[in-house]
Amino acid sequence: MATTAATLTRAGAATGYKGGVWSWLTTVDHKRIGQLYLYTSLAFFLIGGLEAEIIRTQLYGPNGTIVSAQTYNELFTMHGLTMIFLAIMPMTAALWNFLVPLQIGARDVAFPRLNAFSYWVFLLGGLFINTGWLLHAAPNGGWFGYAPLSTRAYSPGLHMDFYVVGLQIVGLSSLAASFNFIATIINMRAPGMHMMRMPVFTWATFVNQFLMALSFPIVTVAITFLLFDRFFGTTFYENAAGADPLLWQHLFWLFGHPEVYILILPSFGLVSEVIPTFSRKPLFGYPVMVYSLMLIATLGFGVWAHHMFAVGMGPIADSVFGITTMLIAIPTGVKIFNWLGTVWGGQLRFTTAMLFALGLVGLFTIGGISGVMHSSPPSDLAQTDSYFIVAHFHYVLFGGSMMGLFAGIYYYFPKITGRLMNEALGKVHFWGTFIGMNLTFFPMHFSGLDGMPRRIYRYEAYQGWTTANHLSTIGAYILGLATLVFIYNFLRSRSAGKVSGPNPWGAPTLEWSMPSPPPDYNFAKLPHVTSRYPMWEGKSAEQIAAEPVVKRWEPGTPGATEDPVPTAEQLGIPMPTPTIKPLIAALGLTVAFIGLMAGKSLPIMILGGLIFVGALYGWLLTPVEPEVEGH
Amino acid sequence: MTLRSRSRRLAFAALTAVFTAGVAACSYNPNTIFGAHSDLGHATDRLTYRLLYFGIGVGVFVWGLLIYAIFRFRARPKSPVPKQIHGNTAIEITWTLIPAAILAILAVPTVRTIFQTQAPAPANSLQVEVIGHQWWWEFRYPQYNVVTANELYLPVGRPVNFTLKSADVIHSFWIPQLAGAKRDVVTNHTNYLWFTPESTFAWNGFCAEYCGDSHANMHFKVFTQPQAEFDAWIAHQKTGPAFPANPSDTTNAPAAPAAQPATATVALTSQQLTVAPSAQQLTAAAAAGPATGIYPASNIPDYVIPNTPPPAGLTFSDVKGDPARGLKLFRSGPCLACHTIQGVSPGVIGPNLTHVGSRYTIAGAMYPNDIKHLELWIKNAPLMKPGVIMPAFGKSPNLPGGMTDQQIADIAAYLSSLK
Repeated sequence: MATTAATLTRAGAATGYKGGVWSWLTTVDHKRIGQLYLYTSLAFFLIGGLEAEIIRTQLYGPNGTIVSAQTYNELFTMHGLTMIFLAIMPMTAALWNFLVPLQIGARDVAFPRLNAFSYWVFLLGGLFINTGWLLHAAPNGGWFGYAPLSTRAYSPGLHMDFYVVGLQIVGLSSLAASFNFIATIINMRAPGMHMMRMPVFTWATFVNQFLMALSFPIVTVAITFLLFDRFFGTTFYENAAGADPLLWQHLFWLFGHPEVYILILPSFGLVSEVIPTFSRKPLFGYPVMVYSLMLIATLGFGVWAHHMFAVGMGPIADSVFGITTMLIAIPTGVKIFNWLGTVWGGQLRFTTAMLFALGLVGLFTIGGISGVMHSSPPSDLAQTDSYFIVAHFHYVLFGGSMMGLFAGIYYYFPKITGRLMNEALGKVHFWGTFIGMNLTFFPMHFSGLDGMPRRIYRYEAYQGWTTANHLSTIGAYILGLATLVFIYNFLRSRSAGKVSGPNPWGAPTLEWSMPSPPPDYNFAKLPHVTSRYPMWEGKSAEQIAAEPVVKRWEPGTPGATEDPVPTAEQLGIPMPTPTIKPLIAALGLTVAFIGLMAGKSLPIMILGGLIFVGALYGWLLTPVEPEVEGH
Repeated sequence: MTLRSRSRRLAFAALTAVFTAGVAACSYNPNTIFGAHSDLGHATDRLTYRLLYFGIGVGVFVWGLLIYAIFRFRARPKSPVPKQIHGNTAIEITWTLIPAAILAILAVPTVRTIFQTQAPAPANSLQVEVIGHQWWWEFRYPQYNVVTANELYLPVGRPVNFTLKSADVIHSFWIPQLAGAKRDVVTNHTNYLWFTPESTFAWNGFCAEYCGDSHANMHFKVFTQPQAEFDAWIAHQKTGPAFPANPSDTTNAPAAPAAQPATATVALTSQQLTVAPSAQQLTAAAAAGPATGIYPASNIPDYVIPNTPPPAGLTFSDVKGDPARGLKLFRSGPCLACHTIQGVSPGVIGPNLTHVGSRYTIAGAMYPNDIKHLELWIKNAPLMKPGVIMPAFGKSPNLPGGMTDQQIADIAAYLSSLK
């Protein structure tokens, strides 16, 4: 971590950060918290990927014996939990933490300490869930944790305890973050940054926070019921007490479907930044892109039961949820066409970021089409719980969310570090990912339509599934190798990448006006925004088309500031004091939950509670900045 | 440049490979959801094909535009300067309305099919009660008072109405090639699924909802037969076990099958027998073939025969079992606590074994039903099937009081005789 800080300073502009581990543990700066999210989520992405590789190895041929049934069930459960809650969500959080204040012209987020608290809770929650592996008791009931299988009667031991408690912890992190970013985006926009001038990524983030704020309480309730069933003998989901297991399913999917949009909307936002930049054209139909985000999010709360067509809800419910699900395809389709409209007539520059963004447009379309296929309940009854569904949601989550996030990482890496990622390796990564992902997931359409059920640790020979599974496994290995190329490129470019300068892509939005990496205070003077694309403002179409894509920044490149970046002190900008209290509060919370796991140990729970409350008090009673600054 | 063109060639080759392999995989698809042999299957097909064709059409259109744009608008030294267009209301309305129209074309038959397939089953339907257990299937024919497990017999041409219930967690009842559609088996709920089988054959059935450790091993087999064969099967199932409960010790056999007048009477009417059959006669009938209604082994395709390899390290000595000794062991041992054999034992935790010898599979259709697999199963079921409730009974260092291989072979021989 210490070297990272030093690297940042060497890379280009001075940032004003102190180095050292302690500075990272106590940071309340949104850019550093964003980087913590980024590194952590990439680490969890590798863990989730390793789990996937073991799963694919087991399924290469019939009757795989690499892992036992129980280990396999733990692997697919943890793969889902890790990728959803510990990799993709925090990776989107990494980017919106880093970017939103820069995109709207703010000095930081509304509640910097709450932001740090969110990160630490997420990190500890992620480590907590994964502790299950060390105790040979990783969650094994699926990421969806269906009752009654997840109740104590059918899942004895610690496995599903790690699930309920771990998700509870991670959920708190998302809730805290959502309120923080709603407040930030509503209140902290620079003068002139009207809502309809905000970059689409900020819009996507904004919509996302509402999805999180409204859906996480539902799963919190669902999980609290399960937690009480498992630890305190209530009977919300207990078979023997006559519980209705559909209660869990309705609550879970009422959260779970908005969750799908929580995973994809930030990526939609990212490619809406990347595609205009590298087409040298503004986004086609900006207002419609914004409205469609809101429409997708709103409709996303009315479709949850399409996960449950097989449970027997009756023809009326099936019809209603089938039609609402089809409706969602309309705003989603509009987004695809508007991206194509942006590309149309442009001057396309195929940087790695652009390749990943166009990859999302193509691959998400495939996932969207298979999605429409199972929006029709009678047809879904044939498809659901088969590998066809696995193919579908990996096209949406890998072909959509991850392609968009990769686009975002290549695009914003220079802003975060001041250096460019290696483009040649980037292209190896893109093509390896594109080929590997299609080879892994496209054959799953066939194995699914050929009757292969999901979540099986083995299958028999002669079922017509072997060829498709061979291909999927080979594809998964290619995907794994491509990811290693990415990780190498990512880590190495932090110190060895070419210096990028402030705006290597000729990009139009506000964040590209500042030095790379940005100084700790962000904007020396809060900007006055007068258009959607400040960096293209007043330029002719010829000038925009002539904006170079920088291979290596040299002083004197047009648009670059050569003046040394002044420090916050020189500018008289009061900076928030670093503090360890958010981390201690997060630790206290985790200790309390560990007490619950450790045989409901009251002393440990009380200790954790005291640490949490104590840290919270200390945090609330010390002012954020040495002296209060009036905005 | 070389890197870029090489990677493009690679990508093209890989996509071609995927497509070819996909087509190749399609040529052998014994469990495909398409073309399922029932009215429900046809209804599902019509909808799925319509969705598939529209989906492929939209996909080809979008990919066509994308690929065209990528080549057409790539930045070149003489590329025209992009017009700074911010949108076009007419175009945007058009590409909102066209998808909406396509979805309407899909929604109408969707709703029609929902109401058609979820209508109440016809009154003359064969009623079958399906009970999902971790990890096996119980099938009850309440109209005939028949209970069996893991192998489902159905007549062709008559609607069958499944009443789906669960004994523990949520399962899902799926016969891809017969029904296409599946239906969840939900705890504390009763679900229904009905269709009319059209062809006589043997079919694979799966549990499709994750239900714990051995979800992957929760299979079942379906045999569809002409009505006459099905009637014979029902008649045979209604009789007691083929093997006499205790032939050498008559005083100790109060519940021998011939002593069950109720079942014998029904057997009479459907089998046109003139005298009440003795157990031996029934055994002979079973051996004779068609009269038992058992689906002929020669008509079972290889993909319906389980081929799970037994776990490595589980061995069994080469001993020959004696069914009479096996019966004694069965009656005096732990078996009867969990398994019903009509007139012999009352247990209801595990599958009903009254006619287990006439089944083709054991252990949730995980293994073929032969002496070797039965012996291994009784010896150490948990090793054979992860998570299974049935404990290991074979003598081992962990279980010094367990049964010897000879005792197990006797029980297996007895069970195999229950045709």
